[in-house]
Amino acid sequence: MSLTQALREEILAVPEGVYAPHCFKFRAIREEPDAAPQRIRANMIRALFSEPKPRILPHDLIAGNTHCLFALEEEAYLAYAERIVNMLGRRKFKTNADHYAPDYRVILSKGVPGLIDDVDRSLERHAHDGKRVETLKDMRITLEGFSAMIAHYADAADALAADPAYDGERLAFIRGNCRALVSGAPRHFAEALQLVWFCHTAFRMEGRSAMALARIDQYLWPFYKKDVEDGILTRSRAVELLENVFIKIVNDTVNICVGGTSPDGSCDVNELSYCVVEAVKNCRVPGPNLSARIMPGTPDDFLLKCLESIGTGLGYPALMNDEVNLAGLMRYGYAREDVYNYSMVGCIENFITGKQPPWVDSRFNTPLYLDYVFNNGVSQTCGSFGLALGEAESITTMDQFMKNFEAQLAWGVSEHCLDIHSRTDMLSQEAVNEPFLSCFCHDCIGRGLDINNGGSLYPSVHGAAVMGIGTVADSLAAVEKVVFTDHDATLAELRDALNANFEGYEALRDKLLAAPKYGNGDDFADKYAVWFLNYISGCFSRRRTRDGGPYYVLMAANISNISAGASDNATPDGRLRGESLSDAASPTHGRDHLGATVALRSVSKPDYTKSAGGTVVNQKFSPSAFEGDHLRALAALVRVYFKNGGQELQMNATSREVLVDAMEHPEKYGDLVVRVSGFSAYYVTLGRDVQYDILSRTQQE
Amino acid sequence: MLLNISNVQHFSLGDGPGIRTTIFFKGCPLRCPWCHNPETISPQPAQLFYKATGKREVRGMSVECEALLPELLADRDYFAESGGGVTLSGGEVMLQSEGAAQLASLLCREGISVYVDTAGYVPYANFERMNPYTDTYLYDFKTASETLMRTVIGGDLSRITDNLRRLLADGKSVRIRIPLIPGFNTDDESVDGICRALGGMGIGAVDLLPFHRLGSGKYEAMGLTYAYAATQPLRGEPLDALRRRFERDFTVRVEQ
Repeated sequence: MSLTQALREEILAVPEGVYAPHCFKFRAIREEPDAAPQRIRANMIRALFSEPKPRILPHDLIAGNTHCLFALEEEAYLAYAERIVNMLGRRKFKTNADHYAPDYRVILSKGVPGLIDDVDRSLERHAHDGKRVETLKDMRITLEGFSAMIAHYADAADALAADPAYDGERLAFIRGNCRALVSGAPRHFAEALQLVWFCHTAFRMEGRSAMALARIDQYLWPFYKKDVEDGILTRSRAVELLENVFIKIVNDTVNICVGGTSPDGSCDVNELSYCVVEAVKNCRVPGPNLSARIMPGTPDDFLLKCLESIGTGLGYPALMNDEVNLAGLMRYGYAREDVYNYSMVGCIENFITGKQPPWVDSRFNTPLYLDYVFNNGVSQTCGSFGLALGEAESITTMDQFMKNFEAQLAWGVSEHCLDIHSRTDMLSQEAVNEPFLSCFCHDCIGRGLDINNGGSLYPSVHGAAVMGIGTVADSLAAVEKVVFTDHDATLAELRDALNANFEGYEALRDKLLAAPKYGNGDDFADKYAVWFLNYISGCFSRRRTRDGGPYYVLMAANISNISAGASDNATPDGRLRGESLSDAASPTHGRDHLGATVALRSVSKPDYTKSAGGTVVNQKFSPSAFEGDHLRALAALVRVYFKNGGQELQMNATSREVLVDAMEHPEKYGDLVVRVSGFSAYYVTLGRDVQYDILSRTQQE
Repeated sequence: MLLNISNVQHFSLGDGPGIRTTIFFKGCPLRCPWCHNPETISPQPAQLFYKATGKREVRGMSVECEALLPELLADRDYFAESGGGVTLSGGEVMLQSEGAAQLASLLCREGISVYVDTAGYVPYANFERMNPYTDTYLYDFKTASETLMRTVIGGDLSRITDNLRRLLADGKSVRIRIPLIPGFNTDDESVDGICRALGGMGIGAVDLLPFHRLGSGKYEAMGLTYAYAATQPLRGEPLDALRRRFERDFTVRVEQ
């Protein structure tokens, strides 16, 4: 068994006790019981980092995990601790807690001591401002805890020296790296990687998920280059160290970004980019969510390397069109060098690395607003209300239909944003501070302000994940064709058919199903996808988050298209009530039946620079597409798709036979990884409906 | 000119280099019992009904060459980037050599590469019509045994070998494709025969197409019995052994 695989078993072996970070936080509460809640939170974070006893694993080269947070205390005590700790407030995804990409260049350049120095200098500068002083002290407290944690890892390595289960050389390696990091900035590749992993581990200990590692091939590159030049690092050793980190990602989606474009227009791919892809490929686990920023100058062999990794069945990396993402982000007035340094958080969400509050998004159920058009503003299945603009009988042209739909959407966007604001308002920006996270966001330390309270250079963004572009485009095309072109039914008849879920209207449904569908290169349907992104991005562009940031549109909703579809009425594309909506930015499953070139020709029509949050386009390919010469054809497919303005491509390389067999014999396919709209998962752990969803995606041979 | 075709398949990998669009022609003079495109054998439209999905399909339509062109040109960016093009397949394209030649000439005028997938069982005059517009022939060579050819497939081997010789003599680019069919041509004697015959003509490279039964669903959908329904796909060591045998005489590529 390889070192990496052995480590995987160790990381998956859950320690004795109960996972109880609150137990460690609780120990700090009594220190300053009457302090401001912000200070108590800072103390708790310090205790969380410095109190637990680190657990180095026998096959660790780069140490750091959350096993140390298992506690053996009595249940009643743990419950009490949890209750008290939670009363002090806690941010969640919806209130800017995680889905964040630190700019690791900063801490790598100065180390933990340097960051503490920065806080001290800022303290001097802001000495006159009591609030900022307290905020900076809170940050300092957490950094001290973090520094103590690193020192404890060094001590732990010492203490294990006599343990026969451990390898002396590896322990010495860990101890040396940790000691160096306690006293200064990292000098070598391994130290730098260890520091990044400690930061990430600390975020995990705080309870954050989907914290991105961001542009790891860029910020580690100077270390890699120097070590290789100095003859103290080989490429294979670098891959081994990276694997040692990636294999420890469990029950989390950690975005890792490689490649990209420099502000001078050159390609950012370097030798380390290849190492990262190699390491992710070798690990074969779903946690490291690799994203490759592809641009015209990306070397062919790098693209092929990415496709090879995808072709193993892993599905990673997701391929991102840098030109589109850069143009999309440039719309928002960020500094050029910040846009070029963007990375992804969570599944595919575009993020200004280290300079904005954590990502938040929500789902926008577009087909619901079609229901309102047909039923004078009353949803037939959700019991919700839109605008009462008149009965279907009053709509006599396609133009009127579109005007009505546009009005419903505009109203829906406005209601949607109200709902989001109300959630944000429930939380006082000041009370639930994030002192540790703030140390990783420019320019919280300099300003002496919390990341969610004016500290970050840019304001927060909100991602509106608009769902069902395929369902909507197909529906509008069907209305135009069947009602207003062929006059096979009136709009009122169509409404009755939808409300009856097509029972008794089977012939009409067949006509609707036969109408042109998005994804087949036919402008009759495709034009509505183009219209949709233009229109909905226009609606959201008029809104602002509470601190003045933009609403991005994105088309990636994980698997929410299933639950949203479950509550939506039947739609004019022939979709039955309760069936899934089209997935992310992809055409409706099974309806893009003419092949990948045609599907991608359609899918590249919308202007994705208006979808700055990102999109997911799933395309499934047979494994044979990733073999031999075919790989170059796939690379060409990607190149042309990106040249034509496609934003993202997620390829799946699992054969139908394997998927079917895996449904019947899940025990044989424990390690089969598939991508589901933006993240990878173990296939056999997915529900039947999701498995069918994957199966029914058009298989492009 | 009207073409009788089954369907147009975009993003075909394995029917020649790069990304290709393949047009499946209707009608075939041979009757290979393992055929994976049974719907293309008859010139008449084929009715398919898939029980599992309840889906019905009709395979067979007449289409003017000019009418087909826009759909073929739409993928030209993909062809250019990948070194691909259009492949005419079937069925037997060469049975419709006049229409196929007209279509190929239109594509040539647009600078698009045309490959022709054929079993070669037509008069050479048909090839002479196609030659000016054909980049490369994907030429099926199923057996070197006259008896097997006559009894199993229903054809005269000499016509196939003669046409192949003449194509080579005329300087056409030909890529030999050998379907590997268990129980038909994978025994030592058959393989040796194929190698001898091709080697004698100066062939240097062959593509091997291992048997698979993915076409079985189409037989069922057409209400036909598939003689090879119970035959396991050829893969693993038996396939490797065959590959090694062919590699003694040729440069080999296995198309999966």
